[in-house]
Amino acid sequence: MHKLLIKNELLGCIQCGRCSAGCPVSLRTALSPRKLIYKNLRESKKLPKSQDIWSCTTCRTCQQRCPKGVSVMDYIIGLRSYQVERGKIEPTMRDALESILKHGNPWGRPREKRTQWIDDETDVRILAEGEETDVLLYVGCTPAYDPEIQKSTRALAKILNDADVDFAIIGNDESCCGNEVKRMGELGLFEMLVEENTALFKKYKFNTMITISPHCYNTFKNEYALDFEILHYTQFLKKLLDEGKLQISASIEKKVVFHDPCFLGKQNDEYDAPRELLKYLLTDEDNLLEFGRNRERSLCCEGGGGRMWLEVESESPRNAEIRIDDAKSIGAEVVATSCPFCQLTLNDAVKTTKSEDKIRVMDICSLIAENKFEETEMEE
Amino acid sequence: MNKDIFVVIEHRQERIADVSYELLTKGYQIAEKLGGEVIAVLLADDGDQMAQSLKSYADKVLYIRNEIFKNLHSEYYCDALSSIIGERKPALILFGHTVDSFEVAPALAEQLEIPIISNCVDFDIDGDFVRATVPLYGGKINGEYSFNAENGGIISVIPGAVKVENPQKSGEIEKIEFTFEKEYDDKEFIEFIEAAAGEIDITQAEKIVAIGRGVKDEENIDMIKDFADSIGAVLACSRPIVDAGWLPKERQVGSSGKTVKPKLYIALGISGAFQHISGIKSDTIIAVNKDPNAPIFKVAHYGIVDDVFKIIPALKAKIEEMK
Amino acid sequence: MNSVVCIKRVPETAEATLKIAPDGKKLEEENLVFSLNDADNYALEQALLLQEEFDGDVTVISVGPPETDEIIRMALAKGATNAIRIHHDDISKLDANAVASLLAEQIKDLDYDVVFTGAFASDDAFSLVGTMLAEKLEITHITMAIEMKQDDEDEAEISRELEGGLIAKYRIKFPAVITVQTGMNEPRYASILGIKRASQKEVDVVDDPTIPENKVQLEKISYPPEGKKAEILSGTPEETSSRLAEILKQKGII
Repeated sequence: MHKLLIKNELLGCIQCGRCSAGCPVSLRTALSPRKLIYKNLRESKKLPKSQDIWSCTTCRTCQQRCPKGVSVMDYIIGLRSYQVERGKIEPTMRDALESILKHGNPWGRPREKRTQWIDDETDVRILAEGEETDVLLYVGCTPAYDPEIQKSTRALAKILNDADVDFAIIGNDESCCGNEVKRMGELGLFEMLVEENTALFKKYKFNTMITISPHCYNTFKNEYALDFEILHYTQFLKKLLDEGKLQISASIEKKVVFHDPCFLGKQNDEYDAPRELLKYLLTDEDNLLEFGRNRERSLCCEGGGGRMWLEVESESPRNAEIRIDDAKSIGAEVVATSCPFCQLTLNDAVKTTKSEDKIRVMDICSLIAENKFEETEMEE
Repeated sequence: MNKDIFVVIEHRQERIADVSYELLTKGYQIAEKLGGEVIAVLLADDGDQMAQSLKSYADKVLYIRNEIFKNLHSEYYCDALSSIIGERKPALILFGHTVDSFEVAPALAEQLEIPIISNCVDFDIDGDFVRATVPLYGGKINGEYSFNAENGGIISVIPGAVKVENPQKSGEIEKIEFTFEKEYDDKEFIEFIEAAAGEIDITQAEKIVAIGRGVKDEENIDMIKDFADSIGAVLACSRPIVDAGWLPKERQVGSSGKTVKPKLYIALGISGAFQHISGIKSDTIIAVNKDPNAPIFKVAHYGIVDDVFKIIPALKAKIEEMK
Repeated sequence: MNSVVCIKRVPETAEATLKIAPDGKKLEEENLVFSLNDADNYALEQALLLQEEFDGDVTVISVGPPETDEIIRMALAKGATNAIRIHHDDISKLDANAVASLLAEQIKDLDYDVVFTGAFASDDAFSLVGTMLAEKLEITHITMAIEMKQDDEDEAEISRELEGGLIAKYRIKFPAVITVQTGMNEPRYASILGIKRASQKEVDVVDDPTIPENKVQLEKISYPPEGKKAEILSGTPEETSSRLAEILKQKGII
């Protein structure tokens, strides 16, 4: 019996199909977790050679819905790791992984440009080895390098400064957290990142780490063994709000709907902090709408699990497009996000569904910054 | 040191490559300095017409004829060149730094046991020494190389580095029927294959015109394809264009598409989303976009903030004029 | 079929800020990331594909300092069977002829059918070593290969990629040197676990090779006179497109 079956309790599977039924990409791809497990139970020595495993976004819906405790998602990641070891992976994914190894980020950008998101108006302290701060802001690869998300990163820095938070960043030595690396199946590289990052964090003195991306939050909190408090920025800002250190006055009159990111919501049970922040921003609390598929049922935007570097063949519209259509149909004018991948995929979907004059996709940092500071970089 | 400059003429399917005229221009300048002649060396089969068109650029055209020279076969080429160079002992031998030169020039250097500097944008002679400038690291750094040319040497120059001037010479044509003592049958030319339309691999394109959502409608693509064709560029795009089904996936540039490394990348109506930009490695990126704040302007080398559909027809016309 | 793959360790410079070292002959290496030369990666992949089809050994060989072992290990992780490193402290001090001589000296005693190299290196792009190597080994060569078709172990049909996308097809008989253009295949990925396992394989180090004298000297390196990035051209469409056409012509692109 293959060890992947034993490790993930595949023998417990009763083929009920709850996994496939809940899978957010099962509607638009051929991925069927139930079928994969069936194949493996029938031919338990050989692993299925399915390429459908690369459609998975590692949202974990399957694993959470399974009534028998089968680690469905982990099994899919395990299948991926075998293909990774054989070296036959999509060139785009290969390039992202090689870039992480060489440059500390998946975007092919040089390490020396990791702090270029900081402009003349942004005040951010970069820690030297041995230095101290209260809060370490772990920026992350996409918030550091992607021009669209860099705006949110700057917005967050502004908000933290305005609230007199003693925070700092690591700077160019910061490297990829590895959350996507693990989920793409490159377990060796992930272990290497855990080792290196754990040693790196020990070089600084701080009390709390906050992340911009829920992906970073997820892996640091659940898959590293770190001995300090780790929070997603929405949780931290909510804390500041409760302690009276962050002032937000209600100014948004539009109808806003929050899109729960998989790695904050269903995987880490945080649904309320973002909503509390939004409620403060809205002039009328009733303008905070909800998707039908919200909270733990939130429709995955297809940004996770390495999907930013993996395309799938499909005749059906992308989930992000479905989400934008859903937002329009409930009368929302703004979709609020709190994850860089959701922000990117949903924003793209606004363009491809030609909804620019109906919907704006904004992450919570930017909404707060827009509320607090006169000049903002957000598009009209 | 000897005084004559040999220019090995590159030709294909009976057409002489532009770079050969550039080399003759440069060769003439150097030959003048040395007090020698610039000699065009043409290895060809049916080369009478080609030899004629070289006359005004050279003091002499050495037309070495053999059937085997119809298509490039480095061993025969080197055999003949070694022979003639051994006889005539030119000061320098010039090649264009082209794909065909990779076959011949280094082998010739080895056979004649003379130095070679390739990939130059410029070179000069100073006494016995030849100094050449080579663009390194994709052109970010210049390297100065030199060799002692007392026994001759080879330089290969990048096409486009020298401006052609016709000195209106009247070079005499010396035709030599060349016969080989050896046979080289480890290599054999089979055929040429033209690039098939519709099977384009954008990752190998030297010039790319890429379109983004600013192109607005599928009908507009024809006009842009027209422009791309006129400058010998390949059409590519950002993801939304593929999503809309206007171009096939093979044309997509970006982190979930392809990485391209052209000499020229013209981005039309592309906002410059990071996932697209990360797929471009180019030294000349031109962006045309109505939005002055489009992030593409941060990575482009030249930008025009204007309507793509006003710029492209004007640009196409200007380029036509220049031809 | 046994193949030899010549590989070179080069800096990744596409987006890096380059600084010239005080001696004026090399780059400051502090912030540079080094990796396997792109074209060599395709050459290696082609050798591995050959190995999959015809069996045999793949020997990777490189000239350089101990840091070169990084790329050698990656090649071993991908499936190369043997590795040779010809020691030299600083390959920027060697001309192409010297490199080709050092390689030939080792390769001539190996049992091989084909030698693969990259068609050019991303640092100097001279495209000399492959062809010179073939001459020194007294075997035939073919450069800028973009496709390779083989029915048997004695010969192959090679497509060369010429300017403008034109393809020239040749038949070559082994043994031969084939210089590989990027895009010939899709290189596989070497996982970290694979690279760790590969560090247990031995690299044959040639400690004290006889280094031929350079025929070509590197005098110095310098920054090219530079224009600014993102120059915005302004004016009417007539004016801006005119200016742009001029710029393209000046750069030799049109």
